[in-house]
Amino acid sequence: MKKQTLRAALYIVLAVVGIITVLPFVWMILSSFKTNEEISALHQTLLPQNFTLENYTSLQSNFNFLQYFGNSVMIAVIVTVLVVYISCLCGFVLSKYEFKGKNLIFGFVMMTMMIPWSVTIISRYTMFMKSGLLDSYLSLILPVMVSGFGIFMMKQDISSMPDELLEAARIDGANEFRIFHQIVLPMSKNSISAIAIFQFLWVWEDYLWPYLMIDSDKKQLLAVGLTMFNGRYSTDYGGLFAATVISIVPVIIVYTIFQKRFVAGVAAGSVKG
Amino acid sequence: MLRKRRPLQSKSEVVLRSIVVTFLVVYMLIFLIIPVIIAFAGSFHIWNPLNGTYKWTGLDNYIRMFQYPTFWLSMKNTVVFCAVVVFFRVLLGLALAYAITSRLIRHKTFFRTIFYMPTVTPLVAVAYVWKIMYNPQFGLVNNLFGFDINWLFSSDFALPAVMVMTIWKDFGYAVILFMSGLMSIPSDYYEASNIDGANAWQTFKYITLPLLKPTMVFVVITSLISYLQAYVPVMVMTKGGPGTSTFLSSYLVYDQAFVKYNFGYASAIAFFILIFTAVLTVFSFKLTGENS
Amino acid sequence: MLRKTMAMLVIISVIALTCACGKSETTAYKGETDTNPDKGLPVMGENVTYDPNHLINDGKPVELEWWLWDAPDLFGSIAEEFEKIHPNVTIHVVNNPWDGFWTKLPLALQKGTDGPTLFNVHNSYQHLLLTYMAPYDIDVKDLETDFFTAKSHEIDGKIYYVDFGIMTGAMYYNKEMWKAAGLTEEDIPATWEEFREVAKKLTVEEDGKLVQAGFNYNGDFENLMQGVPYQYGNTIFDESGKVPSLTQEGQLKAAQMFLDMYEKDHVGDKDFGTDAAQSFGQGQSAMVYKWGHFYGYMNTNYPQIEYGTFEVPAATKDPFAYDRYNGEATPGINKNAAPEQIEAAQDFIRFYLANTEKQKELCMNYSLFPANNTLREDTELQDNPAIQAVSAHIDNYIWPGPMPATLADNLKIACQDMMYNDTPIEKALKTAEDIVKVDLSNQEFVSSENLYHRYSEHK
Repeated sequence: MKKQTLRAALYIVLAVVGIITVLPFVWMILSSFKTNEEISALHQTLLPQNFTLENYTSLQSNFNFLQYFGNSVMIAVIVTVLVVYISCLCGFVLSKYEFKGKNLIFGFVMMTMMIPWSVTIISRYTMFMKSGLLDSYLSLILPVMVSGFGIFMMKQDISSMPDELLEAARIDGANEFRIFHQIVLPMSKNSISAIAIFQFLWVWEDYLWPYLMIDSDKKQLLAVGLTMFNGRYSTDYGGLFAATVISIVPVIIVYTIFQKRFVAGVAAGSVKG
Repeated sequence: MLRKRRPLQSKSEVVLRSIVVTFLVVYMLIFLIIPVIIAFAGSFHIWNPLNGTYKWTGLDNYIRMFQYPTFWLSMKNTVVFCAVVVFFRVLLGLALAYAITSRLIRHKTFFRTIFYMPTVTPLVAVAYVWKIMYNPQFGLVNNLFGFDINWLFSSDFALPAVMVMTIWKDFGYAVILFMSGLMSIPSDYYEASNIDGANAWQTFKYITLPLLKPTMVFVVITSLISYLQAYVPVMVMTKGGPGTSTFLSSYLVYDQAFVKYNFGYASAIAFFILIFTAVLTVFSFKLTGENS
Repeated sequence: MLRKTMAMLVIISVIALTCACGKSETTAYKGETDTNPDKGLPVMGENVTYDPNHLINDGKPVELEWWLWDAPDLFGSIAEEFEKIHPNVTIHVVNNPWDGFWTKLPLALQKGTDGPTLFNVHNSYQHLLLTYMAPYDIDVKDLETDFFTAKSHEIDGKIYYVDFGIMTGAMYYNKEMWKAAGLTEEDIPATWEEFREVAKKLTVEEDGKLVQAGFNYNGDFENLMQGVPYQYGNTIFDESGKVPSLTQEGQLKAAQMFLDMYEKDHVGDKDFGTDAAQSFGQGQSAMVYKWGHFYGYMNTNYPQIEYGTFEVPAATKDPFAYDRYNGEATPGINKNAAPEQIEAAQDFIRFYLANTEKQKELCMNYSLFPANNTLREDTELQDNPAIQAVSAHIDNYIWPGPMPATLADNLKIACQDMMYNDTPIEKALKTAEDIVKVDLSNQEFVSSENLYHRYSEHK
């Protein structure tokens, strides 16, 4: 009996929080089918009164939406794969090897998380300009391919792997590269999923850096396109919401692919170690 | 840390280690140390790289920073913002994670997915949605709860309104972290406490909480670092207003660098924040007794 | 599962990469050569003239970029007309988001030949751009004869950009509410006293709750505060043009008056919506103070509201100046571009400035009072309500100069402090003044107020 009440209470609490969590989404999705006038109407209705698809259809005419979308997916995937691989590799070396200066290097890795981007962005721009890498995708990939967060997480995870396992492989004659690729990487699937989800989102929503780097319309990213809705004098909310609705789809897909391992992965990276 | 491994090292280990160390050192040098040095030098100059201004002013930027009332207000706001948001992130995250992992609840994946949705949505879009929701006349918040408050234009409510939005956006992250923390607690701990006749609260307090400490440290520290750099919600929702009521120190950096183009001054403030963050991080590690 | 997904993602990205590369190869530059200098076209323009009958770069192909943040079709049509005359010139119009534009543009100008050769200018960012700009290769006297605001853009005898039109503030009123309150054309107020009476009549309260604001300035207070103090004869800057003062009689009086309208007259409320423009469109505010761009805003968002305009009321009969104005500028030329690009750009600017038809279209698009004197009497332009309201006394509007963001920003903070945080007027304005003083002392800004034709009358 007591158990039943407790269960009901728990469900109610979760449901209430769940509704509060979802409500802004529902509102945003429904609003993306409204005109701007209706979005800011004094008498609000949840469902659109004059259902319109214009916000969606005008996306392609406002800017080259599909092209931007494709570019963003490509860059986000490349960066995510790179970050995952580099984080694993660095995490492996920083956790399983002992050498001088290891803690110093790790300290600097942690620093990358603490430096405000606004301080370094201009000098980075100058560097990329001088190296002639402006308007190339390399300029979007290089500065983010090492993630302090990722290395931190992988270091925690890999350090909890039993040394005996690696030793056994070494005795069997495997070199360190094989050990990393055939033992360490597969064993870190969970943390990899976690980093992938975080990293994909960060790349996906980053705006100012790609804007500064990329000039050609053909190479531009979606996050930059989204700011087109925020004009000099007013914001086109309908367009912004429609674009956002579409732009979260890939993130949701990545999340569903990786989510099974996600919780376990976060656990490995943050709890153990 | 104690040296666990044999000193003997295979050739491939040396190669791999050298590759990684060289890579990291070169990378950090190019993308971290050099830009930081440039910015640090810039903080002693009137510096606008956009039109090539670079004039030595000594400590002027730092003096100006300490004399600027908005700077102190923004520091106070930042501390309040971080404390409240981190507190609620931990509290909500822990409570909801505890509820979801409880044996009484079935649809665990469902709830987990729902709670994590705001976290995977771009912050800028979310901030615009909430900005409309806070409208005093037609906003969802007033309509739903029957308030009559001009949320974003009130010196009392603007900062809390931004904080509520941030908590909504980010609590899912903590839920996931605590869920994984809770699930990695071996069940024999609970069985033992059951036998001892401990009630639910005692079990939570004496068994769950201490075992969750590493998760707690991770959540608190990563949250602190990221909130000390938060400026997007303020930029979209209030632009620091009304007046300067919602200025956060990172928004001040953004405003000085990319609105007023005082890069030298912005760098000075950024270095203050960096030191503050570093001190706070070390302090939180010490406070929670973790040393890694 | 994971390995498969990863493999899939890598494959997708490789495909995407090849697609992207493949596409970029298809747009090879197709430059034409022009061999015919005598095009048999008439010379355009009054004093600034454009003779199309010549070759650019000896007829060899030239390619350049023109960066803007708005209206790519309209600006693009000017480029197209020019390309028709000079088929060897290709102008790529690049539209950018407004957010971040002023960070990106100066950085891109440092790239010289690879950066934009032409770029639209906003005078408040002049301090970022001037080091990259080449002066117009046009006689300054001619420019100043044709464009009545050109003189204010003269720097050391050279001109780097001029206004094609100017924008300023006016009052917009809802015609239906005006009628419902029993008001007629006769009641259009000329002074602030009259304005306050009208605003009271236009205010509707139900059960002590405001349902229709007579005058709503939420979000516009700082704009009013940048213009209205001129009516009292106060300039923002001292004689040197460098030291700002925000605490003179005009500013204090104006601030007090607007706060009184809410607090004493109750014709509006700080919590009555957050944005006067929106409130006007929603049909719950009878009057708002807005700049010319409001015309376009209403057209796109609230086309069904019927409204009229009138000039901003004055504090005295013949005020020192009615309001401040700001210009929308013609493009700047990147001096670091290649010589043939600069040659083409200079030629294009001449074409642009002599092309009154296109300037008219631009003024229509933004509801600007034309800066070109030949367009002054244009009936179509005068029919635009935003332009109509300011036409009568347009010469009595003042331009403070290419003001960096700090003044507007700190004034906005002061205004919000007065409105929402109950900060006393003098204290709020003094704080803003102190910060602006420090900020400006680090920049080479000089006000243009002393170019105003009635400057000698200021207090």
